Amino acid sequence: MLLPLLALLFAPLCLAASFQTDHAKLVQLAASSNGVIRLDEHSYKLLTNPKRTWSASVQFTALDKKRRCGPCKDFDPNWNAVAKAWSTVPAAERDNHFFGTVDFDHAMSIFQQLGLQSAPVVQVLPAVEGPRRPASGRSNPIALDFSGGFDAAPLAEQLSRHTPVPIPYKAPIDYSRIASGLFVLLSFVAALRFISPILKSRWTWAAITIITSLIMTSGFMFVRIRGMPYNGPNGQWIAGGYQTQFGQEVHVIAMIYGTLAGGFLMLTLVVPNQLSPSRQRMQIYLWTGVIFVMYSVLVSIFKEKNRGYPFRLLL
Amino acid sequence: MPLAYSLPTDLSPATVVNASSLLRIVALALISGAAIASRLFAVINFESVIHEFDPWFNYRATRVLASEGFYEFWNWFDPTAWYPLGRVVGGTIYPGLMATSGVIYSILHGLNLPVDIRNICVMLAPGFSALTAWSTYMFTKEMKDESAGLLAAAFIGIVPGYISRSVAGSYDNEAIAIFLLMFTFFLWIKALKTGSAFFGTLAALFYFYMVAAWGGYAFITNMIPLHAFTLILMGRFSSRLYVAYSSWYAIGTLASMQVPFVGFQPVRTSEHMAALGVFGLLQIIAFAELVRAHVSSKQFQRLLYASVIGMGILGGLAIVGLTYKGWIAPWTGRFYSLWDTGYAKKYIPIIASVSEHQPTAWPSFFMDLQLLIFVFPAGVILCFRELRDEHVFVIIYAVVASYFAGVMVRLMLTLTPCVCVCAAVAFSSVLDTYINPVEPDAVEEEAETAGDGAVSASSTAVSTSSGSATKKGKKAAPAAQPGPLGGLVSTVSAVVSTKKGEKSRGIFGGDTRLAVLLNALGMLLFFVLHCTYVTSSAYSSPSVVLASTNPDGSQHIIDDFREAYYWLRQNTPETAVVMSWWDYGYQIAGMADRPTLVDNNTWNNTHIATVGKAMSSSEEVAYPILRKHDVDYVLVIFGGLLGYSGDDINKFLWMVRIAQGVWPDEIQEPNYFTAKGEYKVDDGASNTMKNSLMYKMSYYRFAELFGGNQAVDRVRGQQMPKIGPTLDYLDEAFTSENWIVRIYQVKKEDPLGRDLRTANAFEQGKRRKRSKPVARRRAIV
Amino acid sequence: MVPHWRRRLPLLLLSLLCPSFASAHSFENTAIVRTIDLGGSLVHVTTTYAVKALEDGAGVYTLALAERELKRTSWLEAKIKGQQNILAMESAGFDGESGVYLFSVELPETLRTNGTANLVVEAIETHATYPWPEEAGQKDGQSLKYETDLFVVSPYKTSVERIKIKSPSPNILSYSTPEGLDEFTMEIPVTKSGATITYGPFSNIPATADATFLKPKQKEVAVHYNYDHPVIEVTELKRSAEISHWGANLNIEDKIHLHNAGPKLKGHFSRLEHQASTFLGRMPPHVLPSLTLHLPPNIRSPYYYDLIGNVSTSHLRVGHLPAQQSSLLEVRPRYPLMGGWNYSFTLGWDSPLADYAGYDKSTGKYVIGVPLMTLVPGAVVGDAEVTIILPEGATDVDFFPPFTPIQSYVKTHVTYLDTVGRPAIILEYKDLTTKHAGTVYVMYKVPLSAHLKKPLAVATAFMGLFVLGFAVRRMDVRIQKK
Repeated sequence: MLLPLLALLFAPLCLAASFQTDHAKLVQLAASSNGVIRLDEHSYKLLTNPKRTWSASVQFTALDKKRRCGPCKDFDPNWNAVAKAWSTVPAAERDNHFFGTVDFDHAMSIFQQLGLQSAPVVQVLPAVEGPRRPASGRSNPIALDFSGGFDAAPLAEQLSRHTPVPIPYKAPIDYSRIASGLFVLLSFVAALRFISPILKSRWTWAAITIITSLIMTSGFMFVRIRGMPYNGPNGQWIAGGYQTQFGQEVHVIAMIYGTLAGGFLMLTLVVPNQLSPSRQRMQIYLWTGVIFVMYSVLVSIFKEKNRGYPFRLLL
Repeated sequence: MPLAYSLPTDLSPATVVNASSLLRIVALALISGAAIASRLFAVINFESVIHEFDPWFNYRATRVLASEGFYEFWNWFDPTAWYPLGRVVGGTIYPGLMATSGVIYSILHGLNLPVDIRNICVMLAPGFSALTAWSTYMFTKEMKDESAGLLAAAFIGIVPGYISRSVAGSYDNEAIAIFLLMFTFFLWIKALKTGSAFFGTLAALFYFYMVAAWGGYAFITNMIPLHAFTLILMGRFSSRLYVAYSSWYAIGTLASMQVPFVGFQPVRTSEHMAALGVFGLLQIIAFAELVRAHVSSKQFQRLLYASVIGMGILGGLAIVGLTYKGWIAPWTGRFYSLWDTGYAKKYIPIIASVSEHQPTAWPSFFMDLQLLIFVFPAGVILCFRELRDEHVFVIIYAVVASYFAGVMVRLMLTLTPCVCVCAAVAFSSVLDTYINPVEPDAVEEEAETAGDGAVSASSTAVSTSSGSATKKGKKAAPAAQPGPLGGLVSTVSAVVSTKKGEKSRGIFGGDTRLAVLLNALGMLLFFVLHCTYVTSSAYSSPSVVLASTNPDGSQHIIDDFREAYYWLRQNTPETAVVMSWWDYGYQIAGMADRPTLVDNNTWNNTHIATVGKAMSSSEEVAYPILRKHDVDYVLVIFGGLLGYSGDDINKFLWMVRIAQGVWPDEIQEPNYFTAKGEYKVDDGASNTMKNSLMYKMSYYRFAELFGGNQAVDRVRGQQMPKIGPTLDYLDEAFTSENWIVRIYQVKKEDPLGRDLRTANAFEQGKRRKRSKPVARRRAIV
Repeated sequence: MVPHWRRRLPLLLLSLLCPSFASAHSFENTAIVRTIDLGGSLVHVTTTYAVKALEDGAGVYTLALAERELKRTSWLEAKIKGQQNILAMESAGFDGESGVYLFSVELPETLRTNGTANLVVEAIETHATYPWPEEAGQKDGQSLKYETDLFVVSPYKTSVERIKIKSPSPNILSYSTPEGLDEFTMEIPVTKSGATITYGPFSNIPATADATFLKPKQKEVAVHYNYDHPVIEVTELKRSAEISHWGANLNIEDKIHLHNAGPKLKGHFSRLEHQASTFLGRMPPHVLPSLTLHLPPNIRSPYYYDLIGNVSTSHLRVGHLPAQQSSLLEVRPRYPLMGGWNYSFTLGWDSPLADYAGYDKSTGKYVIGVPLMTLVPGAVVGDAEVTIILPEGATDVDFFPPFTPIQSYVKTHVTYLDTVGRPAIILEYKDLTTKHAGTVYVMYKVPLSAHLKKPLAVATAFMGLFVLGFAVRRMDVRIQKK
């Protein structure tokens, strides 16, 4: 790993460094770091040789902790997986396409000269000369879009359009998952005898039902699908705006709903069985109050979300 | 026993029963009235006009049905849609809606009531909402009793979640579908309770109607089997279930296959396999029951059970296998995207691009259902208390529907009825408890008043069942005992039994009653206010006509769409082909009556992608495409002047994405963003963006409108470059008053065979020689 | 009136053999002055004949129209100068050898020799002008061309003749100067002063309704002038007037198909330029942004919509009798009507029946006067179909149109809850002009029974329903009794 780097440092100096050797170096680099070249200024220059006969796909990312780039972290492993898959291709084709990673903290200058503001970005550099020169003659980098998400499969599929042969990427079979699934199933079957009374009790199911519907109706799926954060920056827990919400709101709202529903149940089911007038009266007023207050809280929260809403109760 | 307040004692039971039934009828009538009236905001604020986009197609189809007759409609091939492909309309729609209004139309004309078909279409949804209220009443009556039924009817009558899809003028399948949904469910419950094949058949017939009316019938197709299956698991298999399900499934499936659009799906697609599987399972179990009834030997029974389970598993495996072999089509994308929520965005951008397929945030729930949303869990619990078969149904419904509603905004519609029912059950039992005048005896004497519990309860039932006929309850009790009150009696007994020991329950004192009742009434009142507000403000604007207010506060109608469509209709040749983004296809066909390339029935992705490509690529690239498709006019929606946010520039990225899906190496989404990855239309916009046909058509001569001043796009809030884009291959043909609709004519090839750009340049060069004032756009050339 | 001769034309052609040349030499025109007021789609032609009788008892004066004149003329009436009453006019058919159409006018009293009379003949020509150039850009002006024969065609000799052509605006682009008129006049035959062009005076002209004159001597003159109002045509007008005695209401509904007959829009419509010109108040002459209609007074609930729904851009000021004689409706089409563009719309209103109908005790008949058409100012109405729907069960209907329609018949029209349907009178006209805005008078009887028919029918229907419900409610259809 070190030696080629030294060579690279000198690369600009030794004018003898001819085209072949550049390519050779790249091949070597790729081989040495299972498929993905960790690029710095020099090796990047090397890779983006204006007379290159090879193509390359480069990932621009910022993996350092302090950059707090979540997507980068999600994406990097997929990238490496695809690159690894590529390195299994027979050398003849493999050496005509390289995978590289430019990390912000190692090569800021590259980011600057490309005017990149966001990461991760994937660029494909088509070959400029030689047999693999694209028919369109286009030589400026093509940016990939992540509209299909960060997964490896779509990435490989997109890249395959630019590589000499399609990337033989196959999603690894997640044995651990299957195993755990099986384990859970078996243990469940095993435990069936003991927990069957619980399963048979309607109230377990009631609890399950209520909790699901409460969670669902307080926007759980929204948070999940849109990947909303648990709470906003500087700890605010209500997302302004009618069409959006934070994860925390799910809990709060579900709790309010639950309390209100509970109040109603209390009034219908429990209180009437209370046979001392005074206590009963006390409970009735208590629960009525709870319902009323909770309801007005709920309305005021809703008013937060939907400014135009004209109504309000207590507060 | 003591009473909280006195009741008249000199009423014959007959009077009470009659009075209560009369009151019921009156109440239902009033509820229907309210349901209809609350949906007329749109007509009152604007006019009796068809809303949105899809309704315009339904309306057009209905007109064909009304004028040409049913057979013509049935084999209607529409050459003007999806030009040049055309569309077999008869076989690609759910004809239920059109058929319904067609029938109403011919009946009225039979009575010499020449009502305009448009008005029938506009008023259909409100009319059916009244029926929905009624069917919800029937359904809830099966759950609890009449009082709950009336509450439920009132809820569903005015709840925004349902109004949003059924205001006057939103002439869409949902308009009648919800009624059919509820009524089919009611009939199913009825069939299950009575075990009568008659109701089963009725359920099947209405199921057929539903299939003919709405693609959402799959919900019924899976709900009922799920219910049946759960009952089996709970060991509640009974001959009633067997009869009800078998009659429903057999007849319903056969009937549903008569709808051309459905055809053989019921036996070929996964959506319907659950129903089939449960049907098979039921047969097996029934057989097993039969055998067991006649054979006694232990081992044989064990053997039998083994075989039953074995067969069940085999059947399941068979279905799976068939699916793999491709005999049974796997789930369709739309359906599948309900489970794998990321699916649509990745693979079917067209579906993902529709706004009503987005997930639901909690404010929407509260907006649409208000207090019902938190009362309904209580109702579900009450259903759990006495777990009769029908309650199981509601419980399953609640869980499933709330999941779906969470995943897709539009499925709020299926959740609404269930929520109304549960909330009504909860609410009415509160009212029951606190209106019931019977006071329990103090703690001392206990054991003897169990019977009273029941009686008092039943009296409660009557008292509330007949809305305000409350006070007559007590006497009526014996009279009405066997009737629908059975339900409530059992409720109460259930309550009593679940509590340990026999003890009288009830409320002491009047003030407590008053407090709770006032609170409840207050909440209901608030609910009504909320519904009125939401309906009038959010759900009652026909996106065809926009309203704004003048400085003096009077309403100002912005009618650009119809202006432009009508211009097309009156001043262009009948055969002129209009290209626009698919959202406007139906409206153009309906109002301008001109052939369109793509429309809202998005069956041909490639064709849509072609339009997307034409819109998102440069003039030179687009021109051949336009010419090949004989496009005469191109129509774009542009809100920049007025600040109308739903315009094509905002939808542009979807066009790009969809085009990219088919031509990945010609169209790439990132090229339409600035280097910083922003979506801009001002000076900073990327060149691909600036050269795209859509951009040019939207902003053509826009800057000039501002004279010397800085031109501003009011939607994007960005400042436009002083010098706008030029067009060489298109001519501006018409622009509506507020520039919302802009129509361009595609030039014919240059007679001298030059390409139009050079021809244009030459033109203007020649003009320059003449010292005649020339168009400002020459500045660029 | 012209239309109905046209209808009888073949018959006329037969009756040519006896043209009324009996009186050919009984008159002479001491002077003819023809004034042509140019306009958009309407052109007013007023001709004054100073007539001198050459023999006693000459009571029938013969007018002549050349073929083109006849085609254009949609309204023709003759008066004695200074008198109101219109003279009876009879078509005298087509004169074969001269190729002109003749009309005989009965003078109020027969003239003795050298007795004189001043005959004023008023005619309205439609479709007489055409836009020239045929295409105009959005900002350009609009100019029309009018062509006509120079000499007034008349079967009599004429001493002095003068033709004045008045253009609505002083700038006249061109007018033709006929040659070879030396035998009729010494000085230059045409003079232009302001907006008026005068041909003549020409003296001692022979009888011009004569092939020997028309072929060689008749000259054609053309005037090319600026016209700065849009040229509007109503290509189709369908009016239906529905009378309801129960509602004491007369509902009138017009289906109007507007066409801008001005020069076609060259190139394309640019909203930008349109807004600019509106802003600067310099609307080009051929653009029709809106038009004002005069509707009858005290009208109620007017509506204005087109094929795709209500049009919100209209403004009505209801006039109330007796102060205002009419209500003003300002109608704006959905889009400004450029040259050659079309716009069709429907316009309707209710008005109190009392304003139109009366009851004649003596005959027991209702009399109602229905206005024939809504005036679109300065426009010609191409095809008009007027339908008058009488109340259900109206009997012995007879109607008196202001002038003879091309075709008129009575059919049955079935609408709201009718049992037998209502008689509907249908009148068809062509090329109506301002002059034709008359009133159709209809008389009919409606017996009381007819009035009561509908309520009874409805009542029985509902009764039936209730009875049915009653029966069903009390029928027990269960198979086995519980």
